[in-house]
Amino acid sequence: MPVQDPVERTHNFDEVALGFGLDAALLECERCLMCPNPKCVAACPVAIDIPGFIQKICDKDYRGAYDILTESTLLPAICGRVCPQEDQCEGVCPVGAKYEPVAIGRLERWVGDQAIEAGWRNVPYIEPNGFRIGIVGSGPAGMACAADMAKAGCEVTIFEALHEAGGVLRYGIPEFRLPNDILDAELENLKALGVKIKCNTLVGRLFTIEQMLDELGFDAVFIGTGAGYPSFMGIDGESLNGVLSANELLTRCNLMGATDFPANDTPLGLGKRVAVIGSGNTAMDALRVSLRAGAEEVYCLYRRTRKESPARVEEVEHAEEEGVRFEWLTAPIEILDDGEGNVRALRCQRMELGEPDDSGRRRPVPIEGSEYEFAVDTVVYAIGTNANPIIGQTSKIALNKWGYIETDERLATSMAGVYAGGDIVTGAATVILAMGTGRQAARSMKAYLGIRDSDHIYDTPTERTDTIFGIDPNEKSHVRIRVA
Amino acid sequence: MADTKYLFQRNKTWWVKVAVPRLLRDTLGYDLRRSLHTQDLDAAIAARDAVVLELREEIEEARRGPKHERACRTPAFSDDERGFLIKRREDFSDVTFLLEVNAPLLAKAAKPGQFVIVILHDHGERIPLTIADFDCARGTITLVIQAVGKSTREMQQQCRAGTYLHALVGPMGYPSELDARKVICVGGGLGVAPIYPQLRAFKEAGAYVVGVVGFRNSDLVFWQDEFEKYCDELIICTDDGSAGMQGRVTAGLEKALAQHPDTERVIAIGPPVMMQACAETTRPLGIETIVSMNPIMVDGTGMCGGCRVTIGNDIKFACVDGPEFDAHKVDFDDLMRRLKRFRRDEQQATDNWQKATV
Repeated sequence: MPVQDPVERTHNFDEVALGFGLDAALLECERCLMCPNPKCVAACPVAIDIPGFIQKICDKDYRGAYDILTESTLLPAICGRVCPQEDQCEGVCPVGAKYEPVAIGRLERWVGDQAIEAGWRNVPYIEPNGFRIGIVGSGPAGMACAADMAKAGCEVTIFEALHEAGGVLRYGIPEFRLPNDILDAELENLKALGVKIKCNTLVGRLFTIEQMLDELGFDAVFIGTGAGYPSFMGIDGESLNGVLSANELLTRCNLMGATDFPANDTPLGLGKRVAVIGSGNTAMDALRVSLRAGAEEVYCLYRRTRKESPARVEEVEHAEEEGVRFEWLTAPIEILDDGEGNVRALRCQRMELGEPDDSGRRRPVPIEGSEYEFAVDTVVYAIGTNANPIIGQTSKIALNKWGYIETDERLATSMAGVYAGGDIVTGAATVILAMGTGRQAARSMKAYLGIRDSDHIYDTPTERTDTIFGIDPNEKSHVRIRVA
Repeated sequence: MADTKYLFQRNKTWWVKVAVPRLLRDTLGYDLRRSLHTQDLDAAIAARDAVVLELREEIEEARRGPKHERACRTPAFSDDERGFLIKRREDFSDVTFLLEVNAPLLAKAAKPGQFVIVILHDHGERIPLTIADFDCARGTITLVIQAVGKSTREMQQQCRAGTYLHALVGPMGYPSELDARKVICVGGGLGVAPIYPQLRAFKEAGAYVVGVVGFRNSDLVFWQDEFEKYCDELIICTDDGSAGMQGRVTAGLEKALAQHPDTERVIAIGPPVMMQACAETTRPLGIETIVSMNPIMVDGTGMCGGCRVTIGNDIKFACVDGPEFDAHKVDFDDLMRRLKRFRRDEQQATDNWQKATV
């Protein structure tokens, strides 16, 4: 796939991966084997009919391809960009055994972009059923759950604490990976389904989950508040100025537009030599944002090697092309003061890999006497996040010992009518997994409310003769019982 | 046999007992009892009805909830695309001003000690402000703002009654604990307004309240009537002695502590230096002291960690773990250092803004 020139792109926030053109897309979809028993569908968290939509592209029926995609995924343009396809559909593609796997993600993105450009929108006729659903958090889990519930005929309201909707897609993932226009377009699709989005609403403090059910008249509630409570290491010097979490850096840039300071009021406060600790996808975003925000030298410190790095291969490659320097097998042990409360340097230690630990990765072991000083003026922590505590603080919903919401296999919480999904249940994970749990929770909510068959599309042939008084005997008779 | 309804005997003295409805047992206990101070049954029967009525009134009172939360049904969601309407503005001095903002849901939910985040316009930053007052009957919250930086000065210039705030979100943070029976509430500088709802809540909860508020001079004094209404004693301190006693709030605090050595808790809100001084005043006396932290913040929902503060050996996020902490454990030097984090950027923003507006 064509990408922006690495030297050029470190000076702008435009999208790096330029995406397929029509010819490239048509060429790529010819490579699909159309397996009769496709593994890619099983590997997709939302079970997109992958050979189906690729076949439609081959047939040059692009609208048809979009229709197939939107049966399973709400946000093709977003998932095509941010899903880790190499671990999912593309990872199991049989073509990949010998050659490059079929670029399923890029094809999905191409179809999604066509839809936005042409203004295609699949708004089904929705019969309102009178149920009211409250969704807490407008991130990927909440958006997916909202779409399914709205399609089933419920009146859905999403509550978002920040002043703009989108959750991590807005504040976390930078513009050069996911342009805001794309997100806005997908949010418009959601609104077209009748979903209302209320920003500036801090559920838990403004009103509790209990109040939503008892006073505000919601029949069921979905919680998708995410795992946005950044971790720090607890080493000396962490409260110095110049030490911040990747979440803070990304929020300042993506949500508040701090790279345009002073035109926007939020300052960034990034130095010239930046060290990012950690090597996940968030770390890659922080590294690449730092480069674009004017840092001269940007380093990635990780205590294991490139092989163990949890980031997507493509992200590491992009970061490397742009001039990020990787210090593998390195761990910070102290942050040093310049005497005025700012960061002067990091004290680091070299590591080597020992025996595999519980997670199956080889455990890093410090090398004696390998400590050294590393001059930097900004230290960014990207070593993971914990559960957001607000819902736990303000409701009686049961949490597990790490503060995540406890659910059963149907994603029901300990409170009747309240479901949860996304990072607040699974711990920090990916956009597509969050969407998967959002849809699973929607299925459970429908069962709870007694809504049946809303996923099933009836296309009864008109010339049927075996009907009784015009009713198809195979059609499930459904009685909607409202559970108080 | 005589009619002994509601009556029972304890050490031969007659008492009245009224059962509490199940819903109120968390707050009032299983039943309410009161002694009739008599051992004579006929006298007890004569006094009984009046006491039963009083106790029933007490139960009704509890059923209605705390005074300022009364008569508030959950309001509907606002659909106003323009933002949050400013209903009233009042200027206390050339830097301090009050805004009363329309936010019915927020006014119902707000509790003393909590804060909100305000955005002035779509290029604006997220400004954390402690709630100075809330009135759910009017459906408004009140903010008292000191124009010190670029954004607050811009607010001073642009916010008028009838204009809109781009965003307003809250209430954030844990509410204050109101379980002490005798408290001293200290407010200095920009902490004077935020101490007010706490002081009122303590008074309404039945505590003995001593207020200590500090200003630079008599021209800057505001809300004196309101403070007097909810304080058993009020000490006003001014730097030049033009109103109340001369000296800083710590002098007022020392005076109050000398008169009330049995104080259970001191609450201090204001600039970090002042809160530190209050903490040092009470530390030798071992009186529990609570301060409200005001670090630099972005989202206010626990997401960015910019507001982390050092409490004892722990790192806490002021937005979701606070904003109130035990003053004797707070590392104030750390707080003050972290407040200087964007000093240069702030200066630049203020200079640019001044140039543009002149």
